Amino acid sequence: MSDSARGNKLMTLKEAIGTHVKSGSSITFGGFIGRDCLAAVHEIIRQGIRDLAVIDDSKTDVMDLLVGAGCVRRWEGAYLGYGAIGLANNIRRAVEKGMPFPLEVEDWSNAAVSMRFLAGGLNVPFMAVRSMLGSDIMKYNSRVKVMEDPYGGPPVALVPAARPDVAVIHAQRADVMGNGQVWGFTGNDENKARAAGRVILTCEELVPTEQIRRRGNMTLIPFYCVDAVVHVPYGCYPQSCYGYYAYDVLFCGDYHEKTKTREGFLEWLDHYVHGCKDHMEYCARVGWDRLMSLARLERQFNRI
Amino acid sequence: MKGSSLPIKGKNYTASELMAITSCKEFKDWEVAFVGIGIPLIAGILAKRFHAPNLSIVYESGCIGPEKLRVDFNVGDSSAADGALCLTSEWHVFGDLQRGFYDIGVLGGAQLDKYGNLNTTAIFGEGDYRRPAVRLPGSGGGNDIGSSVGRVVIMMGLEKNRFVEKVDFITTPGHLDGSPGARERAGLLGGGPVAVVTSKGVFRFHPETREMYLDTIYPGVEVEEIKESVGWDLMVADDLKLAPDPAGEELAALRAADPCNLIMGGAGSRKKLSGLEEFVHLTLKYAGR
Repeated sequence: MSDSARGNKLMTLKEAIGTHVKSGSSITFGGFIGRDCLAAVHEIIRQGIRDLAVIDDSKTDVMDLLVGAGCVRRWEGAYLGYGAIGLANNIRRAVEKGMPFPLEVEDWSNAAVSMRFLAGGLNVPFMAVRSMLGSDIMKYNSRVKVMEDPYGGPPVALVPAARPDVAVIHAQRADVMGNGQVWGFTGNDENKARAAGRVILTCEELVPTEQIRRRGNMTLIPFYCVDAVVHVPYGCYPQSCYGYYAYDVLFCGDYHEKTKTREGFLEWLDHYVHGCKDHMEYCARVGWDRLMSLARLERQFNRI
Repeated sequence: MKGSSLPIKGKNYTASELMAITSCKEFKDWEVAFVGIGIPLIAGILAKRFHAPNLSIVYESGCIGPEKLRVDFNVGDSSAADGALCLTSEWHVFGDLQRGFYDIGVLGGAQLDKYGNLNTTAIFGEGDYRRPAVRLPGSGGGNDIGSSVGRVVIMMGLEKNRFVEKVDFITTPGHLDGSPGARERAGLLGGGPVAVVTSKGVFRFHPETREMYLDTIYPGVEVEEIKESVGWDLMVADDLKLAPDPAGEELAALRAADPCNLIMGGAGSRKKLSGLEEFVHLTLKYAGR
């Protein structure tokens, strides 16, 4: 990276995904079924990227779209479900029927995945955790190792460091240097940013570095972790982004209904992803008044 | 877990509503609680409204002690953070869980055995783990909560083939094989399951055998009906209790907590809404009630 590129990492979403996400990459996404960057997922699908290995904690919408679109070969993670809405239809079709492709699944718990990213971020080979012991997660996942405590306590489970090629993380605010400030819960984002080989930082608002400096304790991700900065307002829709917009449970409910059949999913994909040249077209298709309503709702509860 | 919208015969409430109100009694004031999305969350909200105003709910996304002004559809919704006492990271919350700061966890599941081992990973059917009949979401934080939290309450609809002799996959350990000290030997810190709140009654665990027995039955339900839905020879308490009817104010608070009936009523209720504006309007109107 040249000195001028270090000072300004601003790219379009198309450029950032095209530069940093390749077929066969291992990848993780920030957020926690809330503040996940769905706009980046749409762009990955538009660019026809294939054979991704996704390493993540709980990541339903991202994975359901990517798996349905045929972009994913392998999942190492903990949870793929639509919470109060139901199961993830594309995940079910891939695992149960190999449609459109079989999905390799390696099950972990959320604490285990968290510790894998902590180990990755700390640059140590593994971490100990007091989960998964006695369960069938260990039976089917040979990478979970049980270790007797050498100091005489009860056994613990060891989990290997996660070091994905790329992380895509959405922050409420960022500057062009790549300092990312996050409000609300932070999931595993600080560790994902440090564990990944490359980081694409997307944001609701692009702000001058002076504004970052005024609230330095909100900077979850410092510039040196980051390779690309992309301004993507409403980048998490239909998920929520704390302080900016609420979750669109009705849109997700419709998606869930539509994706009960493979044909229904493909129609949805044509309409909202392939049929939109970029994120702004997607927002227009969803409807700006709808996005404004969700922003109004969220700001009644949380205002940054 | 999702709810059922059919009222119990001759009553003004549904089995799901009775489940939420029954399980809310499991929380004590000043406790710190992990609750799953769906009916468990509604139970936590109700406990805060009535007997446990200082109950703190924790979400694995990193939210500790939110005010619970609106219902969440995922643990990562921005609503999970509304007015929280502390907003932090996922690994810190799991660290605090392991450290022993959290008293109670409420979990849902698809399959359960008599020792309270829970499956949320896959129903194998004719297939196996790699190619199951139904792929479920996976552990999420369920295994972590069941491993390390002080005590666990499980919430599940009582249906045939869900309460089984042996689960296809132990996602979250209960009392494992039921032998004395099984959890300690495995390295598990938490106490394991203490109650199973279902759509027909409440089960608890025998202190010596750690086997589930029927402790409380709901109005209008027969013991035989429950026994038929359970895949082993179910023990019944000598002093079998009858669940009381919920108070009117409890039902009112429950319905206000889920004003669009999206948790208790599911997809049917979603389709009844005229659109997003009605959802926004009702969410704001009932916030915090």
